[in-house]
Amino acid sequence: MDTTSPQPKAGPRGKRGARPGRPNYRHIHRHPLPVNVLSVPPVIPHNPLSIISVALSYLTFLISPPRQEVYSAYFDSATSSIHVTDERAIKALWEMGFFGKGTLSRSEPSWLEREKKRRGLLGGSTSEEATRKRRTERRELKLERARVEKLAIEERLKAEAAAKESGDVLPAAEGHTIPGEKFSVKKAMEARYRQSRSQTTPNGDASTPADSPATPNGKSVRFSPVVQEKEVVSSSAASLHLPDSVLDEEEADEAPLENEEHLQVSNEEAFFLVYSLGVLQVYDREENKPIPTSSLFPLLCNHSYFPPRTASAELKPDDPFTMSYVVYHHFRSLGWVVRSGVKFGTDYLLYNRGPVFSHAEFAVIIIPSYSHSYWSETEERREYTTSQQARSWWWLHCVNRVQAQVKKSLVLCYVEVPPPSASSDDIGALLGRYRVREFLLRRWIPNRSRD
Amino acid sequence: MADADEEAIRATSTEAPQIETDLSDETQDFRLLNHLNFLSDTSSSSLPRRGEKDFEPNPTEFQADVLAASRGAMHNALGHPRIHHPKTQVIGIYAPDGPAPPPELKVDEKGTGVSPEYCVYVPVPKGQYFKTMGRADRWNRVWLLPEEAMYLIERGTLDIKWPSELTGIDENDVNEPAIPMSIQAAYACLLGRSGLTLERYTVFTGLKRLGYAVTRAPGWDDNAQVNESKNESNKKAYTQPQQRGPGLAGIIGRCFSWLDDPFGTSSTAAGPVVGCGIHRNYAAVYRKLAIIPWYDPAAAETRDPLDTDVPFRVVFHVYKPSTPIKKSAWPAPEFRIAVVNTREQTSIPTLAQVGALLESTPLDPPRGEKMDRLMYMRLRHGYRNVVLAVVDQGVTSFLRISDAAFGKEKLYEAKGVPTGPKRHGNFRPKKR
Repeated sequence: MDTTSPQPKAGPRGKRGARPGRPNYRHIHRHPLPVNVLSVPPVIPHNPLSIISVALSYLTFLISPPRQEVYSAYFDSATSSIHVTDERAIKALWEMGFFGKGTLSRSEPSWLEREKKRRGLLGGSTSEEATRKRRTERRELKLERARVEKLAIEERLKAEAAAKESGDVLPAAEGHTIPGEKFSVKKAMEARYRQSRSQTTPNGDASTPADSPATPNGKSVRFSPVVQEKEVVSSSAASLHLPDSVLDEEEADEAPLENEEHLQVSNEEAFFLVYSLGVLQVYDREENKPIPTSSLFPLLCNHSYFPPRTASAELKPDDPFTMSYVVYHHFRSLGWVVRSGVKFGTDYLLYNRGPVFSHAEFAVIIIPSYSHSYWSETEERREYTTSQQARSWWWLHCVNRVQAQVKKSLVLCYVEVPPPSASSDDIGALLGRYRVREFLLRRWIPNRSRD
Repeated sequence: MADADEEAIRATSTEAPQIETDLSDETQDFRLLNHLNFLSDTSSSSLPRRGEKDFEPNPTEFQADVLAASRGAMHNALGHPRIHHPKTQVIGIYAPDGPAPPPELKVDEKGTGVSPEYCVYVPVPKGQYFKTMGRADRWNRVWLLPEEAMYLIERGTLDIKWPSELTGIDENDVNEPAIPMSIQAAYACLLGRSGLTLERYTVFTGLKRLGYAVTRAPGWDDNAQVNESKNESNKKAYTQPQQRGPGLAGIIGRCFSWLDDPFGTSSTAAGPVVGCGIHRNYAAVYRKLAIIPWYDPAAAETRDPLDTDVPFRVVFHVYKPSTPIKKSAWPAPEFRIAVVNTREQTSIPTLAQVGALLESTPLDPPRGEKMDRLMYMRLRHGYRNVVLAVVDQGVTSFLRISDAAFGKEKLYEAKGVPTGPKRHGNFRPKKR
């Protein structure tokens, strides 16, 4: 275990809230879903006037019902993906419920903002930049650590050589190791953070702690070949940005900046927005016609295979889309913000309120289950279901270890697959035949459980 | 080395109970063994700390010295003479045919009151180990289960002898002592008896060495079956998508839903599920979205421990070292452990298997002030729980599985979204 293991919830980042430039997420993301909610005055039994006001508000709703905005997206069959290109829709879907992902960003579509900042049109820094800066710093500190260790070894070698010549006996290895404590990247990060704060606060300019460069510390020292090689790699990665940023600055005067980014919503998200909330309309890209919900469902089911199955193929009750949609809908309906967990090797991550507020606490893995007697009727079906359910213990341990490392709880979400049904016209009835059961999995450490 | 690490583990465990950094992943500095005085002085209480790790070899003599010193320390520690005082020596006698009355008593009665699983008896029990192990018969002999005997033999606490029937030596004859059994012979005789697999023994002995009290659970016997399986009955535990009941409440409900959605736009058949009408608050929207049935562990019936699928069956009951144990009346177990051999059961359990396993454990809902306050903790604790010991060729990984019941924790309500009359009542500070 290295001291540099990521500490998502602690460390210097935790103090970011103190920075004044942070947007008011509470206000921006006050709507958990992109549907209109109009509060009705409360009914107070002993006050008849309140009933009148309630009735009045209902009446106004009846006469002029508030319009629910319906956004549009298009389905691209070549990539089996759904895209939102309208600026307003992108903003709304991200802010109200954290749907989709910017195609050029980590999650929130922020490419335009980043680009503007890079060209010097905007102040401040984006989250991507903060992450990159933190990573660069960490890499530098790791190199620094390698350098310090290398130096210590060289010194030791010199001392040993000198001792051999003079015939002295060096202090035995019995005691403690290299003098001083080992170089800790985490501690160095904290020290650097403190230093940058003390530098900026006296000037009263706390908004630019990111600009105070604490980087040039002793680059003149000769590195060992290994370290030097590493250094070359990292610096070449950093210098990659240089030439094109110069180029862009020249261009910036000529062409106005256009947003080249759009929002991609996952198929489950899109179907949830279409079918459950009715706030999205998906268009076929080729025909430029809206796809009705009844045909969107089989379309997405067929496109959950690769290569996509033909439209005439019979719908399977356990196709990947239906399975993941059932789980997606289940957790969404409980109020969780569900996002892809692919970066941690799981199917979903569950956020409370949203990714800007807190880290995901739960990571979900979907496992099909075939308990219905239909699935054990023939030998062929038994073989099929066994292969569908089979996951190795090593796989489970891997996933579990990764989640422990990133401080998430692993949720095994079993989805009970019903036998195939005759028709898929009633989507609600179809989804209602699936059943969800969650288990929480955690390593149990006997050493720690004894009290 | 597990014992040497305990102090360090204890020190950290109170600070961060959730952070699962496994200390066994760290390096060990065996030179610390030289500073240990437990070899000479058993009363000392301080335990060593961990050393630091060199990630790659370097040409310094210093590193080579450290390595040599570590090796020396290890040999030194291992080579330390271990003395068994004859006063504390415990003798057990192997009984291949199971419990029987003492041979010198020519009694007709067959019963000894001890289950046939026991196969080693100790005529003169002494020492603390018999507090949580073994079972006494009417003649004050303590009978041991094969895993208990094996554990004590490996510890060096118990000497086991071949029975006189096999060797033809009278065990009461002082001049001609009984023949001791080798540890290899003990393995051969004891493992495999009455369902004791090597995997189960590994789990048992690992937990015993850490100080736990471990007993066999009712589900120990793989061949035991329950008369009627109630596989189907727990399907009832799944919630059904909400439907409006008859009667006045139903009418009022329908009335309100009409007010919400006067044009009948809400449809689960073709969507949108929530309809296009007016939503009074988000909680109402979420309630409409609840169309997927989920499992409610509190509603499920507890099933018989034998109504489960081997190897997903509780075989050990485990008690913390601090729990007071009375062998005649074992308290309710603190942990229930099922042992899985990954080479036989190569895939993780199916829903039916793990569901039955959990339903065979008693309901243990999250309770207490802390649980009431912290939703994540409630979810992590679950309503039923069991520990799976996954043994992969001798390496044991323990996994705690619990029924999470996300469906019982409506996040949209917990968040303090105004929901009718509870507007000011149910507000609680957000977890940071």
